[in-house]
Amino acid sequence: MLVVKNLTKTFTTASGSVSALENVSLTVETGEFASIIGKSGSGKSTFLSMLGALDIPTSGKIEVDGVDIAKLSANKQTAYRAKKIGFVFQHYNLIPNLSALENVMLALEFGGMPMKKRKARAEQLLTDVGLEPDEQLRKPARLSGGQQQRVSIARAIANHPAIVLADEPTGNLDSETGKKIFDLLHRLSRSEKTTILAVTHDMNIAGKTDRTFKLKDGKIAN
Amino acid sequence: MNVISRGIKNALRSPLRSGAIVLMLAISIGLILSMLVARGSVSAKIDEVKSTAGTSITISPAGVMGFAGGGDALTSAQLTSIKNTPHITSTSASLSDQLSTTDTNLTASLELGNFGARMQRFEGSGSTANGESAPTSTNSTSTRPAPTPRTSVTGTTNPNSVSTNGSDLNITSGVTIDGTSSALIALVGSDLATKNSLTVGSTFTAYTKTITVKGIFKTDNKFQDSGIIMPLATVQTLTDQSGAVTSVVAKVDSSDNVSTTVTSLKSTLGDKADIISQAEQAAASVSSLESIASLALAGVIGATIAGAVIVLLSMIMIVRERRREIGVIKAIGGTNRKVMAQFVTEALTLTIIGSVVGLTLGVLVSGPMTNSLVSNSQSSSQTARAEGPGAGLIRGGFSQINRNITSVTSSITPEIFAVAIGMTLLIAIVGSAVPAWFIARISPAEVLRTE
Repeated sequence: MLVVKNLTKTFTTASGSVSALENVSLTVETGEFASIIGKSGSGKSTFLSMLGALDIPTSGKIEVDGVDIAKLSANKQTAYRAKKIGFVFQHYNLIPNLSALENVMLALEFGGMPMKKRKARAEQLLTDVGLEPDEQLRKPARLSGGQQQRVSIARAIANHPAIVLADEPTGNLDSETGKKIFDLLHRLSRSEKTTILAVTHDMNIAGKTDRTFKLKDGKIAN
Repeated sequence: MNVISRGIKNALRSPLRSGAIVLMLAISIGLILSMLVARGSVSAKIDEVKSTAGTSITISPAGVMGFAGGGDALTSAQLTSIKNTPHITSTSASLSDQLSTTDTNLTASLELGNFGARMQRFEGSGSTANGESAPTSTNSTSTRPAPTPRTSVTGTTNPNSVSTNGSDLNITSGVTIDGTSSALIALVGSDLATKNSLTVGSTFTAYTKTITVKGIFKTDNKFQDSGIIMPLATVQTLTDQSGAVTSVVAKVDSSDNVSTTVTSLKSTLGDKADIISQAEQAAASVSSLESIASLALAGVIGATIAGAVIVLLSMIMIVRERRREIGVIKAIGGTNRKVMAQFVTEALTLTIIGSVVGLTLGVLVSGPMTNSLVSNSQSSSQTARAEGPGAGLIRGGFSQINRNITSVTSSITPEIFAVAIGMTLLIAIVGSAVPAWFIARISPAEVLRTE
C-alpha cells in the first residue's frame, strides 16, 4: 500500500522559493491502478519523482508497505528503486546500445538476480508483453514506439516491484497503440497485483483507471 | 552482460568518435614512448662518453700550441709540483724540437709547403711582424735565412703518448724505447725512415751526436710519421734545456677527482700553464646530448598531459552527452559505483586500444627519431667546433669521444616500456577521475526533467 502524508516540495530559485507540491496526501491500495491528471506545471512529475525516490521531499511522508522512503539513506533509496519501483517513461528511456533483451537484463542485474537466470527471465517478460524473439534481440532504434514502450514496461516489472510509476506512458503513441499499452498495464495490475500510478493528459485513459487524482498548483484538487 | 562488458561495448558505440579519440591518444602515447626511448638512449650515451673520457689532464706552457705561440717551457720545479698534486697517479712529459739541415744528416720527409714556409718566415732576429716579402726572395733581409724542411723531434717519458688514436704506439719493426733513459737512441717515423733508408740498428747524426735507431713506428699521421721520438732526458741534454718540458699528460686516480685536480693544478701553476682535461672536453661534447635528454623529458611530460587531457575531455563530453542515460540507469536501481565503473571501463578500453596502437607506433618511430635528433645536433655542434681556433690540433681520445656520441642507438628496455605503460595508466586515471565525479553528481531525477 502507498500512503502519502502532507508531502511538500519547495525549490529555491533566484527569485525566491517556489512550492511545487503543497501538503499532498493520498492513499493507493495494493494492486490498484490510479491515475494523476493535471496541467503542465501542476507538479505531476515532481510528485512522481518523490514517489520513485528520485528526489527528496522538503517535508511529509511517503510510506510504501509501511516504510518511509524519504528517510532512507542514499544507498537504500537506490536499492528501493531497484526492487520496489518500476518506471515507465513517456520517451521510453531505453539504453540505445543495448538490445531489448539486454535492457531488461540490466534491470534484473540491478535487482540482484543471478546472471544465469537473467536471460530466461528477460525473455519470458518480453514474450509476456508481446515481443517476438527476433524483436527481443533488436536495439531500441529498430523497434516501433509501441514496441519500445512494451520493453520499457517489461523492464519496469522485471523485479516484481510494489509500485509501477508511469509518466505519460501513452503520450508518445498513437491512440490505438496507446490503448494497447494501457490495457497491458491494466492487465499487469490485475495479474501481478502491482500498484500502478500513471501520470496522464489523456482523459479517456484516466477515466478507465480505478481512481484518478487531480493535481492543481501543487495540491490535490478533488 | 556485466558492467565491464557494457563499458567495453560503450567504448565502441560510436566508431568514428572512438577512432578519433584512439588516434589522438595513440599519437600521444607513441610520443611518450619515443621520448622515453630517446631520453634513455641519450642518457646512456652521455654516461658512456663520460666514463670513456678518461682521467687524463694535459698541461702545456701558457701560450704554446705545438711549435707555434710563445712563452716559456715548463720547468722541472713545475713538473715536480704537478707530480705532487693530490690524486695524480702518473705523468708523462715531453719536449718538442725541430732539426734543421745544419742539426742533422737526415733529409726531412715532410714537404715544407706554404704552411711550413709561412711558419719559418717569422723566425730570425730581423723579421718584421708583417713581413709580406717572399721568404725565398734574394732581396729579403740578410738576417732571415731561406726556409728549409725540418724534422720534428719529440723527447718523451712515454713514447705511447705520441700515438694519435689513444692506444699504444704502433711499432712496425724493432722495439720501443725507454722514455726515462738518457741514451742516444730513437724511434723513427716510417716516412722519415723510408726517405733516409733507415732500419733498426741504423745510425744518424743529430745535434752532432750519433743516434741509434731502435725501432720504426707508424701512426698514419704524416706529421708524426716524419718525426723522431727520443727519451725526454736525451732531448733535454742535446738541446741544452735541462728540465724543460713543453707538454705534460697527468693521470688522475678517479674520474670523480678530475675536476678538483684541474682546479688544484690551476691554483699551483697559475697563468704559467694551460690545463685541459678529457673530462672537460667530454662535458662540452655531450652538452648537446644533455639538451636532447632535457627536451625528451619535457616531451614525455607534455605528451602525458596531452594524453590525459584528451581522455578527460572525451569522457566529459561523453558523460554530458549521456546525462539522461546515466539518470535512467540510476532511476532503475544502478548504483553510483556501477555507473562509474562502467564509464571508467569505457575510458580504460579507449586508453588500452590507444596504448596498443601508440606503443606500436612508438616502437616503429623511436629509432629513427632518436637518431635524427642526435645526428642533427651533432652535425651542428661539429660545424661550430670546426670553426674554432686550434680545431685541427684536437686528436686521440677526443676523436674517440666523437665516435661514441655519433653511435647513439635507440633501444626499448623493459624499464622504458614499464614507464610508458605507467604513464598510460596515469592518463586513464586522470582522464576518468573527473568524469566519474560528474557522474556521481548526476541526479536520477534528471530522467524526469527531460521528459
